[in-house]
Amino acid sequence: MAKTFAFVESRGGEVRRVGLEAVTAARHLADATGGGEVHALVMGAPGIAAKTEIIAAHGADVVEVVEHPGLALYSPEVVAATAAARIGAGSYRAALFSASAQGRDLAPRVAAKLGVALGADVTAFEASGDAIIVRHPVNTGKVIATLSIIGTPVVLSLRPGAVAAARAPRTARVESIAPAIDPASARVVPKELLAGNTAKLDLGEAPVIVSGGRGLRAPENFKLVEDLAAAFGNAAVGATRAVTDDGWRPHTDQIGQTGRLVSPDLYVACGISGAIQHLAGMRTSKTIVAINKDREAPIFKIADYGVVGDVLEVLPVLTDAVRKAKQSH
Amino acid sequence: MTSSGHPLPIVPGQYQPALPSDRFIVTEPPDAEAVPMDVVFVGGGPAGLAGAIELARLARADAEAGGSLGDIQIAVLEKAGALGEHNLSGAVVNPVAFRALFPGMPDSEFPFRAPVTGERVYFMTGSRAVRLPTPPTMRNHGNYVGSICEMVRWLGEKAEAAGVNLFTGFPVASLLVEGERVTGVRTTPSGLSRDGSPGPGYTPPTDLTARVTVLAEGTRGALTQAYNARRGIGSPNPPLFALGVKELWETKRPLDAVIHTLGWPLPNDAFGGSFIYPLGKNQLAVGMVVGLDYRQAALDVHDLLQQLKLHPLLRPHLEGGEMLEWGAKTIPEGGYWAIPDRRYGDGVLVTGDAAGFVEVASLKGIHYAMQSGMFAARAIFEALKKQDTSAAALAPYDQMVNDSYITRDLYERRNMRLAFQHGGLYSGGIKAGLMTVTRGAFPGGRITAEPDADVARTADRVTHVQPDGTLTFSKLDAVFRSGNATRDDIPSHLIVGQDIPPAVADFYAHLCPAGVYERDGDRLVVSPANCVDCKATDDVGPRWTPREGGSGAKYRSM
Amino acid sequence: MKMAVCIKRAADMETRFKIAANGTSVDETGVKFDIADFDGFAVEAALQLKEKESGGDVTVISLGPDTVQETLRKALSMGADKAVHLKADTVPADALAIARVLADELEGGGYDLVLFGRMAIDAANQSVGPMTAELLGVPCVSAASQLAIANGRGTARRELEGAAEVLEFPLPAVVTIDEGIARPRLPSLKGIMAAKKKPLEVKPVQVGESRVTVTKMELPPERTGGRIIGEGPAAVPELVRLLQTEAKVL
Repeated sequence: MAKTFAFVESRGGEVRRVGLEAVTAARHLADATGGGEVHALVMGAPGIAAKTEIIAAHGADVVEVVEHPGLALYSPEVVAATAAARIGAGSYRAALFSASAQGRDLAPRVAAKLGVALGADVTAFEASGDAIIVRHPVNTGKVIATLSIIGTPVVLSLRPGAVAAARAPRTARVESIAPAIDPASARVVPKELLAGNTAKLDLGEAPVIVSGGRGLRAPENFKLVEDLAAAFGNAAVGATRAVTDDGWRPHTDQIGQTGRLVSPDLYVACGISGAIQHLAGMRTSKTIVAINKDREAPIFKIADYGVVGDVLEVLPVLTDAVRKAKQSH
Repeated sequence: MTSSGHPLPIVPGQYQPALPSDRFIVTEPPDAEAVPMDVVFVGGGPAGLAGAIELARLARADAEAGGSLGDIQIAVLEKAGALGEHNLSGAVVNPVAFRALFPGMPDSEFPFRAPVTGERVYFMTGSRAVRLPTPPTMRNHGNYVGSICEMVRWLGEKAEAAGVNLFTGFPVASLLVEGERVTGVRTTPSGLSRDGSPGPGYTPPTDLTARVTVLAEGTRGALTQAYNARRGIGSPNPPLFALGVKELWETKRPLDAVIHTLGWPLPNDAFGGSFIYPLGKNQLAVGMVVGLDYRQAALDVHDLLQQLKLHPLLRPHLEGGEMLEWGAKTIPEGGYWAIPDRRYGDGVLVTGDAAGFVEVASLKGIHYAMQSGMFAARAIFEALKKQDTSAAALAPYDQMVNDSYITRDLYERRNMRLAFQHGGLYSGGIKAGLMTVTRGAFPGGRITAEPDADVARTADRVTHVQPDGTLTFSKLDAVFRSGNATRDDIPSHLIVGQDIPPAVADFYAHLCPAGVYERDGDRLVVSPANCVDCKATDDVGPRWTPREGGSGAKYRSM
Repeated sequence: MKMAVCIKRAADMETRFKIAANGTSVDETGVKFDIADFDGFAVEAALQLKEKESGGDVTVISLGPDTVQETLRKALSMGADKAVHLKADTVPADALAIARVLADELEGGGYDLVLFGRMAIDAANQSVGPMTAELLGVPCVSAASQLAIANGRGTARRELEGAAEVLEFPLPAVVTIDEGIARPRLPSLKGIMAAKKKPLEVKPVQVGESRVTVTKMELPPERTGGRIIGEGPAAVPELVRLLQTEAKVL
C-alpha cells in the first residue's frame, strides 16, 4: 500500500480548486494501488490551517500545514524546499502538483531537489507495475504522448480540469510543521500580487476566451462580448480577422491562423461563422460554445454546444446567467 | 454579372496602374555600409540556385588550378522565409539540366518523387472524359514527377555546401543603377506598420553591391519588367501569362499515370487545361491552368479547379483523401516571340521564368530555368576573369541560350499558344496539331498577340461551385492551406488603380485566386495579407511589389 | 553581463503532424525546424539586455544532433556572440536528464544570467529551466513576462491565472522567458554574414539515463462537435447547465 502526496495550491489565503483536484487525483491513485494514505501539504500565511477541513473532505488522510507570515505570497524557494523535504521524508509512490502557473514553477524544482523524474502537465495517469503511465499533450496539443515514468516517487503536475475535484471525506490527521527554510532567507523574494485585470487577461493565458465576429454587426456591440468576459471573471476577449481588419478591435486580439493560436478551457464564439483561418487558431480549445444566427455556419461543426440565434439577443441573457452561476459558486 | 452603371465588357488595361518603375530602379549609389558581393542572384528558385552552384564550382575549380579569379562572394536573395516556400510547379521535370549540373550523379539521387510510368490525355465534358492520343509535345517518357519545393530545398543544400551565401526572407525591392550600369540591389525593409512608418522590430533595407546582378525572379519579375522598360528592351509579341491554381492531395486511391485534360470546365475560347500528377503512392497534384486572355469577366480559375475535382475522372481519387496544400502562380506562356530581345546589360543578366523561358505545349520550364542559370554563371565567370562585366562582356550568355535546346524548343513551338488567342480550343487545337506535326513549319512566320490586359472581358454566364469544405474549398480556406501567415498589419504591397468600377472589382475578385479582392457594394475591398504572390493581377490589374521578407505562402511540397 | 541562452530546435507548429512508423515519435519528413518559439523570445530578451547595458556577451547553447547547429547559427545571426553545441544523438524525454547536461556546461561558466524559453514548444514540459537552476543552486524565476536587471539584481513579473506576481532576485540567476517580453527580431542580412564567422564550439556529451520513456504518440481524436442545443435566449439555461455539469468549465 503505497502512500501518495498532494501539494495543495493556495493564493491569498484561499485553497485553489486546482489544489483540491490534486488531492482528488492523489486519492484516485492511492485507491487504485491498494488504498494507501494520501498526504496533503498546504502552505500559507497564518489562517491557512482553517482550510484543512476541505482538504480532508477531498480525500486526504494527513494534512500537513505550514503557516508562516512570510508565506502570504508564493515564495518559490521556501515552498519547493519544504515540499521536497516532506516528500523525501516519506516513501511516496507519487507526488502530485497542479500544472498551474504556480505548480509548473514548483514541480520541476521539487523533482530536481529530489533527483527524480517529472511528468509535467499530464491529462491522465495510472500506475502500472513500477512505472506511472501518463498522457501529456505535446506540439501545442496536436499530438498526445503517452509516457512511462519510473522513480520513487514520480512527481506529476496535473493539468487543471483533467481530474474534477470530488469529495471523498476522511478524518484527517492534521500536522502543523515549520517551513524547511526561513522565508526571510529566500533569495527569490515575492514582492507583490497584482490582482487580475480580467479585461486585460492575455489570450494565451486566459482559461476562458469570449470572442466576437462580424455577427456583432457594429463595433459598439463588442460591449456585449466584454460583459460576458467580465461575468466569467477569468476571461480574455478575442476577435476574428474580419473584425480586426475593420478596426473594431486591435490586431493583437485576433485569433486565427495569422493571429494568436489559443486553446483555453472554454471558447465562446459570438457571431463567428468559422472561416478555417479562424478555426485554425482556436480548434484545440477544450470546450467550444458557438452562438450564431446561421445554422449552417461551419463553427457549429466543431462546437460542443451550439446556440442558433442572434448573438445580440443571446449574449445579455447568457451574461446574466453566468454572473449568477459565478456568484453562487 | 453586370453591375449598375458599369456594363460589361471591360478592358482591364484601362484600369491598370502604370508599372512603378521608380520603385524598382533606384539611380543612386549603394549605401556606404552596403554588403559587398561579387555576384547577386535575385531569387532562390531553380534558375538562381543552379546559376549560383555552377558559378561557385567554376570559381573553386579556377582557384584550385591556380587561376587569377580568387575568392568570389556569391549571394542568393530569396523573398520566401525558407527556400521553396514560394515555388510552385506541376511538376513533370525533364532531368537534363540536373544531369548537366551534377555530372555523374545518378538520376536516383535527384530530388524527384518518381519516374513517369504512364500518361494519358483526355478531352472532358461535364460528365465524361474521352481519351485522346497523347500529342508528341506532351510525351513525358524519361521525365520525372516531383515537387519543385523539394527540388529547390535540395538545390539550396548543394548551393550552401558550395559556399554560396543564401539569404532567405530578403526580397529585393530595387535595382541600384549608376548610369546604365546595375551596381547592386536594395532589399525591402521589414517591420513597417500599416501606415508605412517603422513599427516594432523594424529592420531597414540593406544594400548589396555586385559586379553582376542576375535576375532570377521568376514569373513576372518586377525588377526585370522595370529594367527592360528602362532600357527599351522589348519582344516581338507582348508576353502572355496563364494562371495556374494547384492543390496537393493525400489520396487513398493512387494514380498510375500523368494525366492532362482539355475542355470542360473551361469555356471553348479559353486556353488551358488541367494536370493531374501522381506523387508517390499516396499523393497527387491537381491543377488548372488558364491563359489570362480569357474572355469571361467572371471566369475564376480557382473555382474551375474546384469544379474539375467533382468530375467522375477525379472524384474517386479524391474522396476520402485530404487536401494538404493549395497554391497559385502565373506561368509565362508567350513563348519564343515573347522572350526579351536581349537578356543582358551592364552588370545584369536575366534568367529563367523572368526571361520567359517556358515551353507551354509541354508545360515545362524548370530545366530551362536551371540551364539558363548555368549559362549565366559561365558567362559571368568569363567576365569576372576578364575584369569586365559590361554588357558586351556578358553578351555571350545570350549566345549560349540561343545555341541551346532552350531556344530550339521554344522556336519549334513558337506559334502553338498563339493560335489559341485567335481560334479558341477547336480551330486553335487543330492548328496546334499541324504545328506539332510540321515541327513548327506550319504556319511559319509569327502569329501576333495582344497583351492580356487589352483583351475585352464579357458578361458570359459563368457557374460557380458552392464549396463543401471537404472536396471543394473557398478561397479563404485555400489561402489557409497555402500556409500563408502574413502579418496583417503590414502596408499594402499592391498598387490598385483609382476609382475601380464595381464590374472591374468583380473581375478582380474572380481573377485573384487568393481572395485578396472583394466587392462590397460599390467598393473594392483589398486584403493584401491574403496574397500568395501569384502575380495574376500584376498582368491585368493591380500591380504587385515586393513586401516584407517571409510574407506570403509557405509551400512545402508544391 | 555574461549571459547564456539555452535553446532548442523544434518543429514548426503549423505542421500537420503525422506519427512515425515506430508509433513513438513524430514523422519528421518534410517538417521544417526552427528555434522553438519561447526560446526565440529568450534570445531576444538577452540581446535587448545586452543592448541596454551597451555591453555583455551572449552565448547560445543547444543540446542535440548536428542539426541543432542550424538553430544556433540562427541565434548567432540574430546577434548572439558565440554558440555551444552539446552534441548528442537524441534529446531525452526526461527533463532532469537534459537539465543535468546543461548544468554541467553552465557550471563554472561565470554566467550572470542564464535564460531559457518558458518551455520547449514541442515537448511542453516547462521544466528544464527551473531544474537546471536547482542543479546549479542559483535563484530562478520561471515564465517571466517582464524582466529588468539593475545593480546585480533582477525584477521579474509572472502571469498567473487572472493575476500576476512580481519577484526580485540576485544574480547570478536562471530566468525562463514567456512570450510577452518582445517579439524575436529577424536576423538581418549583415547579421547572417557576421554569424558565419562567430565561434560555434562542438562538445560531445553523454546524456544520463532517461527515466521517462515515450511509449506512444498519437493524434488527438478529431473534434466531433456539431451539437446544437437550442435556439435563441431560451437555450441559455441549458447551455449554463451543460457548462457546469458536463464540460465543468463554469
